[in-house]
Amino acid sequence: MEKKDIIIKIKEILVSILEHENFEMVDELEAKNVDGWDSLSHMLIITEIEKRFSIQFKLKELNKLNNLGSLLNLINSKIVSK
Amino acid sequence: MLFNSIDFLLFFTVFFSCYWLSVNNIKLQNIILLIGSYVFYSFTDWRFLLLLISISAFNYFLALKIEKANKYKSLLMYIGLAQGLGILAFFKYFNFFITSLNDIFYSVNINCNLKILNILIPLGISFFTFRTISYVLDVYNENIKATKDWIVFFNYISFFPSILSGPIDKVNLLVPQIETKRSFNYNDATDGMRQILWGLFKKIVIADNCSIFVNDTFDNFSQHSGSTLLLGAFFFSIQLYADFSGYSDMAIGFSRLIGFKITKNFNFPFFSQNIAEFWRKWHISLTSWLTEYVFSPLNFKFRHLGKRGIIFAILINFILCGIWHGANWTYVIFGFIHGCAFIPLIINNKLNRKEKKESIHSFLTFKKLINMISIFTFVTFTFIFFRSDNITNALLFLSNIFSDTFFLIPETPSFWIFLLVAIFSLFEWYGRQGDYVLDSILTTCNKALRWTAYLFFVVLILYYAGAEKTFLYFQF
Repeated sequence: MEKKDIIIKIKEILVSILEHENFEMVDELEAKNVDGWDSLSHMLIITEIEKRFSIQFKLKELNKLNNLGSLLNLINSKIVSK
Repeated sequence: MLFNSIDFLLFFTVFFSCYWLSVNNIKLQNIILLIGSYVFYSFTDWRFLLLLISISAFNYFLALKIEKANKYKSLLMYIGLAQGLGILAFFKYFNFFITSLNDIFYSVNINCNLKILNILIPLGISFFTFRTISYVLDVYNENIKATKDWIVFFNYISFFPSILSGPIDKVNLLVPQIETKRSFNYNDATDGMRQILWGLFKKIVIADNCSIFVNDTFDNFSQHSGSTLLLGAFFFSIQLYADFSGYSDMAIGFSRLIGFKITKNFNFPFFSQNIAEFWRKWHISLTSWLTEYVFSPLNFKFRHLGKRGIIFAILINFILCGIWHGANWTYVIFGFIHGCAFIPLIINNKLNRKEKKESIHSFLTFKKLINMISIFTFVTFTFIFFRSDNITNALLFLSNIFSDTFFLIPETPSFWIFLLVAIFSLFEWYGRQGDYVLDSILTTCNKALRWTAYLFFVVLILYYAGAEKTFLYFQF
């Protein structure tokens, strides 16, 4: 799967959970700067990503995420190693 | 040794001089800091010092082993976790466990009468144990490197301004500061002294004065009217806040005097709009610790259950938060009620709603005022469990509030105490945008007014300074 396809799917997930599109899908995007992306919605987003991409995260991996770019890289590495 | 004692004043004067005289030698300064922390800690009971040193040494070597290990990494982490929780379980919860077992057997007509032990609880055990547990977990999760310098690590565990009642500082906040050369900064020192002054005012003038009325209402609750008990409960909320946040202010202030910046522990929690905001502002270092090491892993584990998973995680988190305060079912109930209060927020997606930073002059709307009063009242009712000796007394206290004496004119503390609490509340309200109250109020006003205010607080502190009263959170 190409990076742009992953971005499209993640944007769909974010929009469906956060119920708005007031963010730009750039690598530097951080949860703290997105309205409604808090610890409650974060876990819902993570669960939805796991379902859509049929992957499983580890808590340790999630703790190291700091922006959208690192999330994309993690998803990509999981898809490749499937 | 209490911050509000002559002993501490003498100790700190000697320590402060030695500490800053060795400013050019970081190793020597850290040794002096460690000796100072151990002298401070052993003032209560020197035997506990041996326990503190043993725990520090154990975790120091264990973390180094965890960092290097490949095969038995998890096993070593679990050993560290077992040591931390085991120490807590033995000193704080063993007798509670035995008496609860006896009660269970007794309820099914078996009298096994298991003996409790005569255990003294080491001061600050809940605080320094949480430091060692988070350290071991962070090294295991590769979030931090194990500290090689044992003096630095031992200082982190025993740092005297915060060892007895927190804040529970994270390794990555305190250890880099212990490792780095510190130089005396006049602005930091004056800022620290202002925060100590405010802390002393909260403790000696507000908390200790409220305690007289509070102790009477809670100790003799069957002899007071419902209205008096309700007033007593409100005063306990004020006392607890002034006592604990006053201690935290002093801990932060003394840290600043020796060149450290430690975790802010309170952020005007009684002005919160909902219970989630309250917990983001009350005992912040404990809430953050529990969020990171209890709530987040549980939330992750239960993630496939959606919002039900979050509710489970929150309930377990808050029950543990309650138990952390002590071995008593009253704390379990306290935690459980607070956990339940989060459920509507989770269902309505309002758990972590971002708060807009308000201007100091922003208008207090009627809705916000009602929310504030509601949270203060709710928290006050839960504090009845927190303050009572057992659940029966807490329930009796509650039922006595809502008895037919509820509408009687209450007995009250003196007019002066009301006035002091009113002054305190006004300062808190107008100073709520700063790191601490006097920071935002006094640093912007002219010199004459500032020194008049200092004098006013000093006179009040000296006037009310009598017998030293211990801090409520020392028991935890």
